[in-house]
Amino acid sequence: MSEQIAFWMLSAIAVLGALVAVRKRNLIHGVFALLVFFAGLSGLFLLLLAEFIAAVQILVYIGAVGVLLLFAIMLTERVAGDDGRRMTSRGSFWGLVVAVAVFAVLLLPAIQELPPPEAAQAIDPSVKELGHKLMNPYVVTLEVLALLLTAALIGAVTAAQGVRMPKEENSPE
Amino acid sequence: MSLELLTDILIATVPLMLIFATLFAFTTWLERKALARIQNRIGPNKVGIPCTRISLFGLGQPAADGIKMLFKEDIVPRGADRLFHLLAPILALIPAMLVLCFLPLEFPWTKSLLPVQAFLLDGAVIFFFAITGLNTLAVFMAGWASRNKYSLLGGMRAVAQMVSYEIPLVLSAVIVVMMVGNLNAAEIAKAQTGWWFVFTPWGLAAFIIFFIAALAETNRSPFDLPEAESEIIAGYFTEYSGFKFALFFLGEYIAMFAISGLAVTLFLGGGDGPGVTMNLVDQGLPTEAFPGLTVIWFLMKIFALIAVMIWLRGTLPRLRVDQLMGFAWKFMLPLSILNILVAGFAWHAEQLDNTFITVITWVISLAVLYGAASGLNQLNRPNVRPREYKYAE
Repeated sequence: MSEQIAFWMLSAIAVLGALVAVRKRNLIHGVFALLVFFAGLSGLFLLLLAEFIAAVQILVYIGAVGVLLLFAIMLTERVAGDDGRRMTSRGSFWGLVVAVAVFAVLLLPAIQELPPPEAAQAIDPSVKELGHKLMNPYVVTLEVLALLLTAALIGAVTAAQGVRMPKEENSPE
Repeated sequence: MSLELLTDILIATVPLMLIFATLFAFTTWLERKALARIQNRIGPNKVGIPCTRISLFGLGQPAADGIKMLFKEDIVPRGADRLFHLLAPILALIPAMLVLCFLPLEFPWTKSLLPVQAFLLDGAVIFFFAITGLNTLAVFMAGWASRNKYSLLGGMRAVAQMVSYEIPLVLSAVIVVMMVGNLNAAEIAKAQTGWWFVFTPWGLAAFIIFFIAALAETNRSPFDLPEAESEIIAGYFTEYSGFKFALFFLGEYIAMFAISGLAVTLFLGGGDGPGVTMNLVDQGLPTEAFPGLTVIWFLMKIFALIAVMIWLRGTLPRLRVDQLMGFAWKFMLPLSILNILVAGFAWHAEQLDNTFITVITWVISLAVLYGAASGLNQLNRPNVRPREYKYAE
């Protein structure tokens, strides 16, 4: 019973957070609403006894992604948050189509398995098991992801530095 | 939810809040007294028991401060974002209070409450880092909502500082997790009964890195740039007054307790100390000479760390922004990554269970870590020449 109440409360928080994040014109308000959505999602993971995923959800999405979003907004001139400019969205029809399609593709496997199997005991999302899985069968995937992220990082640094004039090259610090 | 579970939860959590709030009041007094001594002053010495002339070294000062804060006017700037201005101090306090639950404090009255041990989650250490990170959001929120350029600068500094120092903080904690092979805070504390991690070369290096990064995470001096009063008035809480200000203050100190508690759990053996012996019968919790001894040891170690923090605040000047960033990225980060490698080798050496090899490992890892630290120090030394005087001799 209490789980039901918790589920509905957390879902309401998540959905409301997502809606506000999309609808708010003020950027900073939008980011914080997005963080509320992430927090609600983390609570839902906790309800599913996936405590590691819940912790990572907070650590990565709120602690890192959210802070980085704020960081990025801070570096722009719109740090005050509110501006009167209206963002006109063109092609909203195709956007809607793509969104529904992605949602359907993500939801399809779950619908096919209705009613859900009684798997609460079968899966063991313990940290140890996750670590073994990451280090043993999925180690190549992990390494590829790490390489991708490193490439992205180097690319970001290069993009941020801009093109250097050849003259300046002989003056290292 | 059954009534029994509810009472269990209340028994486990309410004392935690009361104890740490009381300790907060005492710590403010201690800090003011200690700083006053360092600066050749007397510090608070008037307030004691009301309506008498007993002053008790000014121990009543925290109560007087609290009453003053409570009755002060709450001023909100006209341009401020009223909702965020109100939410920020609350958001500053809640994560700090929440992470106290993850500390492996074995109160005598919680031992019988097994369901409540759910707070000692398998991933307690990860949860701890995840939730302490939220504090930065509160700081940014306060700085942004005040609509004051100094506040905003303070908030921006806080975010930049946190992004940099979170990495060495977590990487130094990784070493302990590697050595124990568990993320459960209680298990980590139990594994150190008799021999704390700080007594190993890699543990010592990790502890020092952790402590410095913890200072930066809690915005303590010498890393208190977000509230640097000589540059940006009071930083992110410039526009706060009354009880909202007090909440920021409380949140900061509770965060100090929490991060010191984590340092004690990870490196200083948790509740271990004289009078606590390993439980060899069923591998359960360590046995203590009298109930509550582990809690007393735990809190005393926290206070030792807080005392060091106060001492550093009285001694060291504040860093510049570039020094702050350079220190995190060019010194602490390489050193903590190297330390993980050293700890990995040491773990494999310990598996061999050979005294000679262990001694060799210790010597080599000490040499490597010391050499790396001094090498990085040399590399990062600023290129400063003696000053040349143009118009003077």
